[in-house]
Amino acid sequence: MNGLIPVLCVLIPLLGSCLLPFIGKKSPKVRNALALVFVAAAFVLSLAALPALLNGNPLSIHVTLPLGLSFGLVADALALFMALTSSFVAIIIVIYSFGYIKEYDNQNEYYMMVVLFIGAMMGIVYSTNLILIYMFWEISSVCCWRLIGFYRTEITIVRANKAFYITVMGALIMLAGFIGIYAETGTFDLEAMKSTPIPAWTVVLILFGILSKSATFPLHSWLPDAGVAPSPVTSLLHAAVLVKIGVFVYVRLFVKTFSTPAVFTLVVPIIAGVSALISAGCALRATDIKRVIAYSTISQLAFILLGISCGTEAGLIGGLLYILAHSVAKGGLFLCAGVVEHNVHTKDITKMGGLYKRFPITATAFALCSLSVMGIPPFSGYFAKHLVIDGIMQAGHPVLSAVFILGAVMTVLYLARVFAKVFLGPQTFPDAKEGVPTMTASVLILAIVALALGFAINLPSQLATMVWEAI
Amino acid sequence: MFSSVCKFLGNPAPLFLLLCALPVLAGFIAWLFRSKRHGALQMATVLVFGAANLFLALSLYAGGGASGSLSFLGEEFDLSMIVSGVSALMLLLTAFVFLGVSAASCAWFRTREQGGLFLLYLFISLGMVNGALISDHLGVLLFFWEGLLGTLSGFMLLKNREKPATALKALAVSATADLLLMLGIVTTVHVAGTSYMSEIHLLSTEGLGGVGLVLMLLGAMGKLGAYPFHSWIPDAADDAPTPFLAAFPGSLQKILGAYLSIRVVNGLYAVTPGSGMRLFILIMGGITLLCGSFMALAQKDIKRMLAYHTVGVSGLILMSIGSGYAAGLVGGIFLLISHVIAQSGLFIAAGAIEDRTGSTELAKISGLSKLMPVTAVCFIVLSLCSVGLPGLAGFPAGMLALGAAKSGGIVFYLIGLLGIFLATVAFFKMIRSAFFGPLHLPKGHLSVSEARSGMLVPAALSVLACIFFGVYSAFPVDRLIQPSLGLFEELSGYTLTITLFVLPLLMLALALVDHILGAKKGGAPQATAHMEGLPVLKQCYALAQGGKLDPYNWMMAAFSGFADACQWIENGVSWFYDKGIPGFVTGIATALHRYWNGSISRYLIIALAGVAGILVIFLAVML
Repeated sequence: MNGLIPVLCVLIPLLGSCLLPFIGKKSPKVRNALALVFVAAAFVLSLAALPALLNGNPLSIHVTLPLGLSFGLVADALALFMALTSSFVAIIIVIYSFGYIKEYDNQNEYYMMVVLFIGAMMGIVYSTNLILIYMFWEISSVCCWRLIGFYRTEITIVRANKAFYITVMGALIMLAGFIGIYAETGTFDLEAMKSTPIPAWTVVLILFGILSKSATFPLHSWLPDAGVAPSPVTSLLHAAVLVKIGVFVYVRLFVKTFSTPAVFTLVVPIIAGVSALISAGCALRATDIKRVIAYSTISQLAFILLGISCGTEAGLIGGLLYILAHSVAKGGLFLCAGVVEHNVHTKDITKMGGLYKRFPITATAFALCSLSVMGIPPFSGYFAKHLVIDGIMQAGHPVLSAVFILGAVMTVLYLARVFAKVFLGPQTFPDAKEGVPTMTASVLILAIVALALGFAINLPSQLATMVWEAI
Repeated sequence: MFSSVCKFLGNPAPLFLLLCALPVLAGFIAWLFRSKRHGALQMATVLVFGAANLFLALSLYAGGGASGSLSFLGEEFDLSMIVSGVSALMLLLTAFVFLGVSAASCAWFRTREQGGLFLLYLFISLGMVNGALISDHLGVLLFFWEGLLGTLSGFMLLKNREKPATALKALAVSATADLLLMLGIVTTVHVAGTSYMSEIHLLSTEGLGGVGLVLMLLGAMGKLGAYPFHSWIPDAADDAPTPFLAAFPGSLQKILGAYLSIRVVNGLYAVTPGSGMRLFILIMGGITLLCGSFMALAQKDIKRMLAYHTVGVSGLILMSIGSGYAAGLVGGIFLLISHVIAQSGLFIAAGAIEDRTGSTELAKISGLSKLMPVTAVCFIVLSLCSVGLPGLAGFPAGMLALGAAKSGGIVFYLIGLLGIFLATVAFFKMIRSAFFGPLHLPKGHLSVSEARSGMLVPAALSVLACIFFGVYSAFPVDRLIQPSLGLFEELSGYTLTITLFVLPLLMLALALVDHILGAKKGGAPQATAHMEGLPVLKQCYALAQGGKLDPYNWMMAAFSGFADACQWIENGVSWFYDKGIPGFVTGIATALHRYWNGSISRYLIIALAGVAGILVIFLAVML
């Protein structure tokens, strides 16, 4: 019973997703409702695991298998933090999809892949075994591939393949790293390898997987191109959940489990700093709204990586809070972009303008989410940003702190530019109208949550602090 | 009574809630009364809550201050609050000015749209300013400080959503300054080992400490409206509602900027007179004063001229605070008080003119003293206060500030004198053009009436305050400012020296002569044309007109170049994935295809080579 909740968290969306195509043939409405139920189950069950964690007895299950293999799931602070974050945003995105996807073909596959992806995500966050992590990691790659290619046009298939090749190549290299660790320790079980020193070459190999999934320069190229996918997909995969897998696994392996060579507390932040600046520069140049937000995601992910990799308490807590704040706000931005694109049928911001009057709710939500990503108080993004920069400074990297600030200035510039180009200025598309209620409600909820989280930041920060204390 | 209230506020929860949350509540109530038929209720809300805020600030000041702490996010964001000394004085100044500005704003929006939102943003801003002034924890101070970016953006987008360039500029410039402050605070905390200002004393300015000091000062200068963070303010004169100018660049932001500057140079860091850091502050102050004064001279619009003037005075405040002498700190604070009171009154009066005539362009209005006599008197007195006429607050404040600048070096003193001269010339031009001469009104305005009482009363109160502080300067200097700094010298008599008394008066006289001579050719609006046409100045104005001297444009050009470089790198990376790898794989496949000829021996060789390759890798790993 003790480990049942994490098992259900993984199995309900994982197995439930397989039912959706069959149910969808009978009744699309029931399929939609069940998709929401399966995703919500992951959130509710994760929430149910919280009291045990707060009482100091995190729920877990562990089965030992021959040859040093094992099966294990644990609902520790890190797992619950990620599970709650990703499943909450996923719920909103599924609700949004009801309005967005209803006009397109392949809806059965769409909902199946979305729910399967959430199952895989739950698998990754709760797993305590390297092989399980790899397995769920690859399931997420397959889901990502199918979802990016959702429209089945030539360009979407090419872009989907590109994302698949890069992330799977990274994952395979990461697998080689896992095997290397197995060769050193004789086990894939993370619980058994706590504080075990691992050689630098395995870290490098695993970093390939992490950086490709988290779209860090120079393995980031698939993410801006993946903007051809439907907006809920870009929101789910490329802002809120998928790209966070990489940084999550970084924390799980290199912060919580293994003892890595000290050089990586400098090398990884430098890679992150370069990634943050280059992608922010590209965001200033891009004219496709989704590409701007995608580059912004790369830049913000680099900030997260900067925080979690610098080796200080403030950095780690800031990085984790950044994951939460960014998931909510960036998810909202992509959904807002989707509302606009869905109605005006272009993603080119140079062709838009003055849409505030036509999309008042979406514009307000976009502004609020932008303020959170910029890190303006009282939004949650502010606390995360402040803690990350504090952590970098505590780690003794003043130059990287300055890089972070430069990136933050550019974040303000490109998000303000997008908002101004799309929603302000002379009016275009006079006949455009606000999205359907489920879509506008979704973006508004995310915007309000982004703001509310700022006032209740001590709640997630308690979980993040528990992650640090458990190290 | 004040002591009792202060004792009650000594408990951190009421202190925080009343000073930060109460204004937010007031803003929402004012917003609820946004319809025109609820104008009286809205004004009542503004007055009641503004007065309550003033009462609280007065209680804290008179009652000796308060302190406390509320746990919020561990030590990283501990809501630690201390109201004493300078913070108590600034809280009082904020409350006093806010009451007038908010009432005037309410009156100004009586016939306009978006008044509810404006007041909402204004009261939220008050909560933020109060929060920043009472914060002892640097992280919490930054929270409130940066929070003003949100309301700033809101203000800037109220009037003109179709032309958002100024809003973007304000956001970009202010955010840059705030982020520099963030870096400065993090550096300071790192050097000091604590986040509490009350525990930080005279940090060394060597190494990382120096970096922290400069960054914190740059952040403070951002709010103060000093060079290079000033350029959005004159643009806001065109694109933002006029009461915004009185509220933000005219008062609230200025108070915050000066407050932090004082805390940084007089407590957090050991900045000795004559040191390199002092020189940095003096130079930045000098540049700001010159930039603001010269640009004010050439303006043809009252609001733009006032905007540049407020930039210029920021420079003198900075020079005074940065001089490193006690008299300089006192002078800086006194100048801040007199300027904030006079400038907010001037902006309110300018708003009244715009409200009645629909314009503040000098070419479109003249002779207004006949139709708006009270407004004219207020405007003239406040202008004279701003240029430092004896008998008004600006005079003793200016003398102290000039004295401080002189202590920093003769160059800075001369810059100060030049600033007084230029400001006086600009004000004479503006006063004479707008209020004297034949009556001239913009098209569609056959006649105008005196300003609304909601705007006149705050402007008149500003006048009274300027006169009181001017006639009885010992009160602000010896009773308000010095105790707040822990100083007890007799500085109110400091002004009676030749260099600080005679020469500034000579500047005023020279400015008057220059104005009379200048106005002979083309009338009052052209009174500064001869100066604008001077060699070098003419070229500078032409460059400024084209935006070539605007630091914001330099910053954007730098980011644009950087973005181009990033895009170039990105194109290379994309080529690698989109063309390079597929091309490589296709090339290998094509090459291998040539060997696909059915020869068993050839396949055998390939297979053996593959096995050998695997063996090599295996051996390499094993060994």
